[in-house]
Amino acid sequence: MQSIIERIEREIAAWAPESGAEETGIVRAAGDGIAEIDGLSNAVLSEMVLFDPTFDRSLAEALKDPRPLYGLVLNLEEDGVRAVILGDASKIYEGMLVRRTGRRLSIPVGETLVGRVVDPLGAPVDGKGPTGATELRHIEREAYGVIDRASVNVPLHTGIKAIDAMIPIGRGQRELIIGDRGTGKTSIAIDTIINQKSEPAATRPICIYVAIGQKESKTAKLVAELESRGAMEYTIIVTAPASAPAALQFLAPFAGATIGEYFMEQGRDALVVYDDLSKQAVAYRQMSLLLRRPPGREAYPGDIFYLHSRLLERAAKLSKEKGGGSLTALPIIETQEGDVSAYIPTNVISITDGQIYLEANLFNKGQRPAINVGISVSRVGSSAQTKAMKKVSGKIKLELAQFRELEAFMQFSSDLDAETKKRIDAGRRMTSILNQGRGAPLPFEVEAAVIFAATNGYLDSFSPEEVGAVEARLRDFLAREAGGVLVAIRESREIREESEKTLRAKLDAFVARHSGTSDVQVSGGHSMS
Amino acid sequence: MIDDYTRLLEATAEIEDKAASDAAVTKLIMHLKSAGRVKMLPQIARELRKVAARRHALRPLVEVASRKEEEAALRAASSEGIVARHASVNSSLVRGWRARQGGRLVDRSAKRALLAIYQQVTRA
Repeated sequence: MQSIIERIEREIAAWAPESGAEETGIVRAAGDGIAEIDGLSNAVLSEMVLFDPTFDRSLAEALKDPRPLYGLVLNLEEDGVRAVILGDASKIYEGMLVRRTGRRLSIPVGETLVGRVVDPLGAPVDGKGPTGATELRHIEREAYGVIDRASVNVPLHTGIKAIDAMIPIGRGQRELIIGDRGTGKTSIAIDTIINQKSEPAATRPICIYVAIGQKESKTAKLVAELESRGAMEYTIIVTAPASAPAALQFLAPFAGATIGEYFMEQGRDALVVYDDLSKQAVAYRQMSLLLRRPPGREAYPGDIFYLHSRLLERAAKLSKEKGGGSLTALPIIETQEGDVSAYIPTNVISITDGQIYLEANLFNKGQRPAINVGISVSRVGSSAQTKAMKKVSGKIKLELAQFRELEAFMQFSSDLDAETKKRIDAGRRMTSILNQGRGAPLPFEVEAAVIFAATNGYLDSFSPEEVGAVEARLRDFLAREAGGVLVAIRESREIREESEKTLRAKLDAFVARHSGTSDVQVSGGHSMS
Repeated sequence: MIDDYTRLLEATAEIEDKAASDAAVTKLIMHLKSAGRVKMLPQIARELRKVAARRHALRPLVEVASRKEEEAALRAASSEGIVARHASVNSSLVRGWRARQGGRLVDRSAKRALLAIYQQVTRA
């Protein structure tokens, strides 16, 4: 009690009336999260304004709810401004006093955010008390220029074989994850975050997951999963749920980018997942229409492309002079009926450095992740791929594309020559090898060893139906009996001659032990013959 | 179109000669009738009401917590560039005064100070 009294006395003693006048305006009209404000003729774009509920109330009434409500100026007009309300819009009333703050929208950033769940304004929503982050950073800022950047050359392993082998992602890259609802887009992002646990602490990226317009139950489940896997130790969640005002859903990705940039500028690596930008675009469309900006294609405003390009351009690999940090972006876009030629998907495809396209058909066939290899691409990631992965995965993409063609052709013909059948079996085997369930990311050296085995014919003696189970056994075998080789691959990031020899010997031993035996139980109850 | 007519009437209100001002309004109404735009009149009136309210808000306004503070408050407000002849009493200010003109606000009330302290203490 005494300490509280002392603190209050200190505050009273330190108080001095603010000198000078402040600029104020009056709410002319408010509705749908937008306030029309008379006055504030010197307000600037993206400035925060403060709706003051205490101005025309008695002190006793004002103390009941003295919390100010903020707004963000988005339209400058002839006789006033229009601002989006960042909070409970029902508290805004006509004639309410609005003060300028002179501050552009900023959020607190810092190390203490790690492990926390915050809203787009940086306020904690996980019930663990204040975040303790004190450094304020503008939420909107210009991306780094050409001189400050370095080329993407360090891999960011997702732990998903199909991606690390065929669509590699580099640190500082922007790789779009696109597909219909329920095709596993979020799973890829979450597995990628979980997989960073296998990275050494010094090079492990700080992960920021931005949930936009999602059900709170989904976010809660996700946080629980990350916590149970020990991934919250290096993860920050920014959430603007479906129940949040459109303004917060629009701001959430920018908040994520701002937090990521903080770590990037410390010379560290950061990974930010925007889940998903389709919902952000919808929120921005809603705001723009309410702000009476002219609608364009699909009623989106004219600057919707700029909205996403300025956000994604903030992902970067910085030069050594700038500390060498990186910010990798994994934006997610949800398509409707697989239509990648819609407005927002084409925009974001053209902005990013590649896309991972997930197909509902493949998902329904049981392929996990349901990646359509034909139209998935990574434009800069191959230069960041490790030598080991490059060596083992060279031709997979081409072979799989040929397999898909043959597979389609096979539907029309039952008589296949031996060569074609061999290719189809090889394709099936490879598809099976690349199949990987949710929440099971693999360390990169294991991925490399498994793909090495598949591409060098070590699994040819097994039927395509058996390969899935064989692969699981192979991983156990490698962990048990080839630990040294795996460590060598992990440390050198390549498969050197000596490692290759040992690996081949171990694989020969594995094949000899398992081929022709019936100890490999395959799904469906078959056993190896 | 409505904005144009509203601006016209706003300018007419500035004319000091009342007869001339009335004549201008009559002429405008006649013009609207002849052009078949009488239905615009309620909208024009609504816009004018908004303009009047905005102008009202732009007037200098000084509030004091008690009548005995009026003289000092008017002097202090004047030194801040807000000149008013009288001050109105607003007991919710607790002590001190506040003055507004246009988009400018000077708040030297105890209410503001107490709220600021309350917010600082509860935020810490």
